[in-house]
Amino acid sequence: MADDITISIDGVEIITQPGKMILEAAIEAGVYIPYLCYHPGMKPFAACRMCVVGVEGGRGYPAACVQPVADGMKIRNEVPDVLELRRSVMEMLIAEHPDGCLTCHRVEICGPNDVCLRHVSVNDRCVTCPKNERCELKDTVRYLGMNLESPLDYKYRQIPLEVADPFYDRDYNLCIVCGRCVRACEELRGDDAICFTERSGSALVGTSFGTSLLESGCEFCGACIDVCPVGALVERDHKWEKAARVERTICPHCPVGCQLNLEINSAGRFIRAVPDLNSPANRGQACFKGKFGLEYVNSSDRLRKPLIRRNGVLEEATWEDALDLVSTRFSEYTGDTFALLTSPQSTNEEHYLGQKFARVVMNTNNVDQTSNVQPELVEALENALGYAAATNPIWDLENSGCILVFNSNVTEEHNVVGVPIKRAAKRDTKLVVIDSREVELTRYADVWLRPAPGTELLLLGGVLRSLIDQGLENPEWLEENCESPSTVHYALHNLDMDQIVQITQVSLDDIAEAARLYGQAESASVVYALDNVSVDLRQDCVRALIDLVLVTGNLGKPGSGIYPMRQGANEQGAWDVGCVPGRLPGYQPVGDENARQMFEEAWGITLPSNPGLGLAAAIRGAAEGRIKAMMVIGDSANFSNGKLGDGLSALRELNFLVVHDTFLSPVAEIADVVLPRVTFAEKEGTFTNLERRVQRLTASIQVKNNDSRPESWVICELARRMGASGFDHHSPSQVMDEIARLSPIYAGVSYKRLEEESRLVLRTNLESPQPTQVLHSSREYRGIQWPCQEPGAPGTETLYVEGFQERKADPATPEFRAAEPADDSEYPFLLVPGRVLLQNHRDMEIIEGKRNRIQRQEWVELNASDAAAWSIGEGDEVEVLTQRGDLTGQARLVDSVPPGVVAVTSLFGQLAVDLQDSKDPDPASNVPGLDIRPAKVVKAGSNGSS
Amino acid sequence: MDGLKPRIADAMHRQSQPTVTVLSTLLAVQDELGFIPKQGIEEVAAFTSSTINEVWAVASFYPNFRFEPPCLHQVEVCWGASCHLVGAMPLIEAALQASGLETEGDTSDGRLTLRYNTCLGACSQAPVMAIDHHLIGRATPESAKARIAELLAEQNG
Repeated sequence: MADDITISIDGVEIITQPGKMILEAAIEAGVYIPYLCYHPGMKPFAACRMCVVGVEGGRGYPAACVQPVADGMKIRNEVPDVLELRRSVMEMLIAEHPDGCLTCHRVEICGPNDVCLRHVSVNDRCVTCPKNERCELKDTVRYLGMNLESPLDYKYRQIPLEVADPFYDRDYNLCIVCGRCVRACEELRGDDAICFTERSGSALVGTSFGTSLLESGCEFCGACIDVCPVGALVERDHKWEKAARVERTICPHCPVGCQLNLEINSAGRFIRAVPDLNSPANRGQACFKGKFGLEYVNSSDRLRKPLIRRNGVLEEATWEDALDLVSTRFSEYTGDTFALLTSPQSTNEEHYLGQKFARVVMNTNNVDQTSNVQPELVEALENALGYAAATNPIWDLENSGCILVFNSNVTEEHNVVGVPIKRAAKRDTKLVVIDSREVELTRYADVWLRPAPGTELLLLGGVLRSLIDQGLENPEWLEENCESPSTVHYALHNLDMDQIVQITQVSLDDIAEAARLYGQAESASVVYALDNVSVDLRQDCVRALIDLVLVTGNLGKPGSGIYPMRQGANEQGAWDVGCVPGRLPGYQPVGDENARQMFEEAWGITLPSNPGLGLAAAIRGAAEGRIKAMMVIGDSANFSNGKLGDGLSALRELNFLVVHDTFLSPVAEIADVVLPRVTFAEKEGTFTNLERRVQRLTASIQVKNNDSRPESWVICELARRMGASGFDHHSPSQVMDEIARLSPIYAGVSYKRLEEESRLVLRTNLESPQPTQVLHSSREYRGIQWPCQEPGAPGTETLYVEGFQERKADPATPEFRAAEPADDSEYPFLLVPGRVLLQNHRDMEIIEGKRNRIQRQEWVELNASDAAAWSIGEGDEVEVLTQRGDLTGQARLVDSVPPGVVAVTSLFGQLAVDLQDSKDPDPASNVPGLDIRPAKVVKAGSNGSS
Repeated sequence: MDGLKPRIADAMHRQSQPTVTVLSTLLAVQDELGFIPKQGIEEVAAFTSSTINEVWAVASFYPNFRFEPPCLHQVEVCWGASCHLVGAMPLIEAALQASGLETEGDTSDGRLTLRYNTCLGACSQAPVMAIDHHLIGRATPESAKARIAELLAEQNG
């Protein structure tokens, strides 16, 4: 590049760019300068002084992390005076860290299995530190060649260990106050759950008033643990275990597609997950689910052998018997009495094989995926714009001038998407949140519109109308890119703003402000889900959001995306490869004869042309007896959380149910045949995340003493037994090749490319001390973002950059209306649950013990008019009763809650405690959502009849 | 604690200087209450658009902020350079002896807080001490003992 400059470190020339710091340039070039407080991705801090260097012609010894490079700069690194200075710095650092573990003369000869020969007092022994053998400080001490004796006395801080909060073990006696954790929490995550406390000799890391993390606003994402160079912060699970190898794979918990580095111990067991620093989707971040919710892989409750129901009891069987039975029985149900449901954790290849099995072998389009409870989320998007996916990359949210979040609890359900949103909101991006529930992002919002439940669509109409009334639309863009620009305006004419204010219970000023923030921004994004939106309003809500995007021309450029927040980890992939009833691979409609013909030629069969039943319809079909046999892959909370009615009862009606799952889940318990299934960590394949990025999973661990198989194997075995051809793939890679041949948007995707297009980004010399994340992340795997229409073509980061080529955007007119109020005399209220990280103004108590617990009086917020009608006074103890559980709290009469609603906002800390204590083998997959539900409110102690 | 809220809010809003910061707001609260309660940290965070942990990082950095209600009387003894040269140490010893403390801190009966101060800004009067922010110049161990004894013996403050 033109502006490249050359610097030299100990005579080695390095090409770099102005604006970088010496340390950055050195790390990129693979030259080692020791450092402890710097961490790639965070701003330099210059606290540890370990990276001091000499600069020829300069004065003193600047810290390399904050000294900018200049052309021709000659830097002295591994020279005696610099090394001596670093050693004296280290002497001071280890005066407050146990130094026995660092300087013990047996370090060189002591092996992992040796008993410590007590050269060092107990507190200081390397073997009593959880970071032993993976400690950056120790590695740095060894690198510096410290003397075995320090002239400074070591001062043990005598701080009690903090081991009562969920998931984390903290030992601040080992802290070297590098500040990485504090900066990760503030700078990378935007949370500020921890801070520096006090100063100079007593400076340390802690929380305000030394409170538990449960009340300091911690989201238990583990970012602080990931960056800690010493043993001060560690994951409690497998705390003492060392990684024998590290495998990169994709987190199975949500569609963000975080690349995780799984640490595997010498016995081949998964011990820890460390998010990958160079991953384009998560940039070194994870969340409570990815960091602490993968332990189920090691569970001893896993299914090991196939089970067949004989005389009403599930009994162990061989794969041969099970598969023979299943294939025989399935042959009786070919056609539309069969349905196949794959799992959101199935890979693209498995989804593809699943839909192919349903269509080719079972001759039905009844195929869907168990997390796809809201197909409306993307249907309108596909119809209006062309693609059923987010238009922009996740981290492009940081470039938005305004972000509108609609009915989506992002920080819990797609946590890492919340990170760029929070970071942007902390800078100058405006954040508009539309949600009846109080969720974490409402704390960050510039405007929080809190509509009465059921009036979200009407509110969107109000925002649109206000936006146009304020002259904030972009008519030129709309004219150029839209099929019928006037459509959008048409529906708005009839809207009466006064009526909207009255029905939605949102003030005109707030609506206008939200419209102004969104409309005036140079670039604006929409992040949406349809949580709690009733079925008949979902399509129109999405249409209204698309209209908002189109009238302002916020499409096809950086910072201007629309992001549907899907539920399942690989739900996007399921849609892409046709594992949905109405679409063949590559979104080719089943009803389209040409498309069908192409697949019929490729697969050598005749395809059914009726669109088939999706998840909800298939479950209804089972209840009504139209579906008689089903294969369900993976468990899903949706069978029992009411999203599919009484799903389990419906499945009980089936003549024949096969469940392929990892655990004997509620749905497996009622199956006729249960097949053991491997987890995400034990299989090869690809997931496609919500930004259309196809990324590879690695079979990181071997299944031991367990006959579990992936569904790709099961499906191919069944197809083979049922006499079908086209199921003889040897590897997922071959399946992907077939997908690429048949699905134009995946045409350029291949395993070879996914592997070859990775590149070395951190030339880390593994001999030198490095932060764990850096050690794991030297290579960058960017995946491929579809559409990738040709074999060599680059993927597409942002959709519609070139405008609309084949067809213009075709928005549909929503009919702005409110949901019909449910006339439920027994449960006249709606309980609106919320959950946030922090509530400063609320009194709470932490019950300390082996595990800290939160104790506080919940507030049941309700409108004063309701309270009067039900004779409830401020501060009264009330019970909120629903069909799915009750709760008690203290009544608070507030204006912000609309009539007919009771709102209860709990603390995330309580959820973290519950997850930690859960007996569920996979609690992270079953985090209770914030569902609005009918309720009644009674004064505590009364019998409920009032 | 609810009674403190209006006082905290009032103190925060009363600041008249052009630059209002976390630090100035903390000082305003401490001037009003004599200490910074937990609620004060939360109010300051809300007032300055920062977080409780950011405010705590500032508050805990300065040893002059206290987080427990103060004692009835504040006794400060200067041990800055000028005072030190003309007898601050005997003064401190006398003050400790009279108050029954081993080092700076609060007496157990809650009547008196003794603090060392690095400069009370009255070097010409050295050695100085201050009782409830009133300076006493050319203090002697005897006068210090006498004044502290008076404070401890006072009825009902």
